[in-house]
Amino acid sequence: MLDRMLEVNKKRITKYKMSENLKHNMGGWLVMAPTLLLFAFFVWEPLLESVRLSFYSAKGMKLIEFVGFKNYIDVFRHPDFLPAVRNTFSYTIWSLVIGFLVPIVLAILINEMVHAKSLFRVGIYFPNVVPGLATVLMWGFIFKPGKTGVLNIILGQFGIEPMVWLSNPKLTIPLIVLTMTWKAAGATALIYLAALQGINPELYEAAIIDGAGIWDRIRHVTIPNLRNLARTLLILQVIAVFQILYEPLVMTNGGPNNASISIMQLVFKYAFEKFDYPKAAAVSVIISIFLISLTAVYNKFNKELDI
Amino acid sequence: MSRLQDKENGIITRSDLRRPGVRILYYALFTVCLLITLISIAPPVWIMLSSFKDIKEFTLSPSILPKEFDFSKFVRTWNDLKFYKFYINSLYSVAGSVICAIVFNGLLAFALSIIKPKGSKLVYALVLGSLMVPATTSIVPLFININKLGLSGTFYPLWFSIGANAFYVVLYKQYFDTLPKSIIEAARIDGCNNLQIFSRIVMPLSKPITMVVAMYAVNCAWSDFLLPYLVLNNSGLETVMVRLFQFRNGKTADVDIIRAIVFAIIPPILLFTAFQKQITQSSTHSGIKG
Repeated sequence: MLDRMLEVNKKRITKYKMSENLKHNMGGWLVMAPTLLLFAFFVWEPLLESVRLSFYSAKGMKLIEFVGFKNYIDVFRHPDFLPAVRNTFSYTIWSLVIGFLVPIVLAILINEMVHAKSLFRVGIYFPNVVPGLATVLMWGFIFKPGKTGVLNIILGQFGIEPMVWLSNPKLTIPLIVLTMTWKAAGATALIYLAALQGINPELYEAAIIDGAGIWDRIRHVTIPNLRNLARTLLILQVIAVFQILYEPLVMTNGGPNNASISIMQLVFKYAFEKFDYPKAAAVSVIISIFLISLTAVYNKFNKELDI
Repeated sequence: MSRLQDKENGIITRSDLRRPGVRILYYALFTVCLLITLISIAPPVWIMLSSFKDIKEFTLSPSILPKEFDFSKFVRTWNDLKFYKFYINSLYSVAGSVICAIVFNGLLAFALSIIKPKGSKLVYALVLGSLMVPATTSIVPLFININKLGLSGTFYPLWFSIGANAFYVVLYKQYFDTLPKSIIEAARIDGCNNLQIFSRIVMPLSKPITMVVAMYAVNCAWSDFLLPYLVLNNSGLETVMVRLFQFRNGKTADVDIIRAIVFAIIPPILLFTAFQKQITQSSTHSGIKG
């Protein structure tokens, strides 16, 4: 008798628990629903839609028919495509040459300072609060050719003739990368600075006891401790620079003679100047495929290194 | 004055600094730091100085300092370009964006971190995944969707787009994970429902991270121009950045553009000066995890 009563009670409890669980889950999903809807609309759906769109022909925003890889072939054949790809790689490489080491060096330097540390920290972060569009317009004026450009005025003090800067096809990309570095390096340096402050001082003491000089300490203690962070920031930087758009768009509009046009700029041109959305989507898909495979390769490589 | 002997951390140690060679090296590096700080601050300072020049002075005289500091030029440009309107539009855009950034990302993080319904791990993986996916590539279909829904020429797409920001969700979730579970349990026993727990318990306890998200959102909403340009161009609701972008194909005089740049950078600079400590600290704390 007692046994049966307990049995019934147990069943009731499980039933109650199940409905409680259901309520709990439902409640959770209800809280998540609005934001998930936004993620779907702004992030996930456009990503998939991009792929679909690239296989169709369209009239304005209306899809007409499935055309297979025609958009991709047209994009590949366009005379601007190759320069754009070449330039985008060029941006990426220059940004690694100029922009990758600067924040690390900055962080190490500032971490060593005893005086005015917070002034330096605020100072180098300052360019990051200047809006990107204002930054590129501003540097456009600094690189102004002729005697009244700021850079030419400063160089004139040393007796150097005025230069044309951005209109020189060999200098365009490095100068645009310099502008980007000016804006972003300080903020990145602060991230490295945090990592530097996390290094255990005992490591340095141990190195000193082993007779390591200043340079040895940098090589054997500081750099190994920054390596993981640097690897992460490297891939993030490549992904960001690969999508470079408004810097060349505003500073040079891709010129002179396509010397600075980027792949994202092709997307912009196709979509918002020629209103050929499927081809714009095709270029986007090419960029995404490249970047996603790059990230995958990087992750695999990273795991091997970690073991 | 020198506190070199108090140096406690870093690569160069106190005992190194007793050697004159190392001392000279330290001061050389100090000078380098000063120079870098100067390079960081000089261009905006220059643009502000140049904005006092008139068109003749700007195109002809090769000098950095303007001849006179005359504020009436600013007033004229401000009125000519009707900047008042763009400021108001930007203000709307920023205010809505900040609210959306806090409420929507906060709610999702709250569910992922505290309620944890079945399947929330998968959702979090999807959110993290969208951090890795190149963002700008989906701009074309997004633009088409916005137009199909008839939301073009309104602020809604700008407000709501920042409500789906994976980075802010991660920031909030990591903060919520550190909140003591007992408080939330106690609130639940007292009969609070999810929304009450969120608005009365969790959010008031999370003011520091909300500050960080709000500052990021202000900066992001003020500086963003691609989506605002696509959504708001020629609608009469252009923000300051959209107006700046329009200079690309206009025939505005250089000095007017320069004054417009000054108008565009003054609000974020004021904000930065007011909150510099929080901003530089938060970026060192949160940056790594992003």
